[in-house]
Amino acid sequence: MVRGNLGEFVKGLWKENPTFRIVLGLCPTLAVSTSVANGIGMGVAATFVLLGSNIFVSLVRTIVPEKVRIPCYIVIIATFVTIADLFMKAYAPLLSRSLGMFVPLIVVNCIVLGRAEAFSSKEPPLKSIFDALGMGIGFTWALIVISAIREVTGNGTIMGICISRQFEPPLFMILAPGALLTIGALIGVINYFTLKVKAKAK
Amino acid sequence: MNQMAKFGLILGIICLIATLVLALTYEVTRPKIIEQLRQEEQAALKKIIPDADSFELKTLDGVEYFEAMKGSDLIGYCLKVTGSGYSGYMRIIVGIDPNGVIRGVSVLEHQETPGLGSKITEVRPDETEPWFLKQFKGKSAKAVAVKKNIDAITGATISSKAVTDAIRDAVDIFLKKVRK
Repeated sequence: MVRGNLGEFVKGLWKENPTFRIVLGLCPTLAVSTSVANGIGMGVAATFVLLGSNIFVSLVRTIVPEKVRIPCYIVIIATFVTIADLFMKAYAPLLSRSLGMFVPLIVVNCIVLGRAEAFSSKEPPLKSIFDALGMGIGFTWALIVISAIREVTGNGTIMGICISRQFEPPLFMILAPGALLTIGALIGVINYFTLKVKAKAK
Repeated sequence: MNQMAKFGLILGIICLIATLVLALTYEVTRPKIIEQLRQEEQAALKKIIPDADSFELKTLDGVEYFEAMKGSDLIGYCLKVTGSGYSGYMRIIVGIDPNGVIRGVSVLEHQETPGLGSKITEVRPDETEPWFLKQFKGKSAKAVAVKKNIDAITGATISSKAVTDAIRDAVDIFLKKVRK
């Protein structure tokens, strides 16, 4: 068992992976995992927002009364996302063009609010940073795996590069049903193996 | 002080701070963002009608457009078109020659679904311009229609139609007015 700050980082990668284990933030996952490039874009943007919101929420955790915490967190997250969006548009137009379309999806990403509620509202800023990084990277790799499967099967490409023109890819893999099937199958496989490992440990 | 008022006050203060920070950021970044948009627009204009050496912004009945000039000759128009896509509006620039034949189309901004509708701006690996928009080149603007002479993007018929219809309608109205 890894402990301390490193432990907070590592848990997001596998044991408490936001997509496969906690199953949070599925709306943006379904919407965006149509190609690997999109998956990486969304993952990076979400990690950045998660980092900012975790730090801010952790800093104000002693001032915010418990009963009005949710509206406070939402205001903080929405403000941070909008500021990041404005700065990106003004100073990094290229980055903004490739990540810009994910911004509205991040505001409604439950992972961000979920971490504010479950972690950074109770823990100091440094720990929250590690938590955000772990969760962000965990979300990113989950997106990459899902989108790789969908892009190859639904579009016949990976990272936009054509793999084979031998078959007509089934379009439904890029549409919503493909996302639900892929995520469901992956969670099923992961649960199967985790249960097996647990049974062995007993 | 009763608790309810205290909670309300704290939430109010947080909202106030957030608003101030946002307003400040908006003011600081606004001129930069406008400048970026202008540059982006200029780059798109040059790409659409490369042989023009200047573009003059004009307004006709509230519609903004550019006159593409080569020396003192008017060689075409670039129209700013707003389309209504699958999930929000899109900003399109379409270049036509004086006869209404399309020189090029550029989508500056859109909110279409990543991976589906967003293919309206997708560039294939071995090409330099979006394959969907390339179809418009050389066609008469008032005759473009999805399924007729424009191939729709698989799974994104609404986005494809939105671009096509927006261009056709805007150019049609514009040419009638200009030739009046």
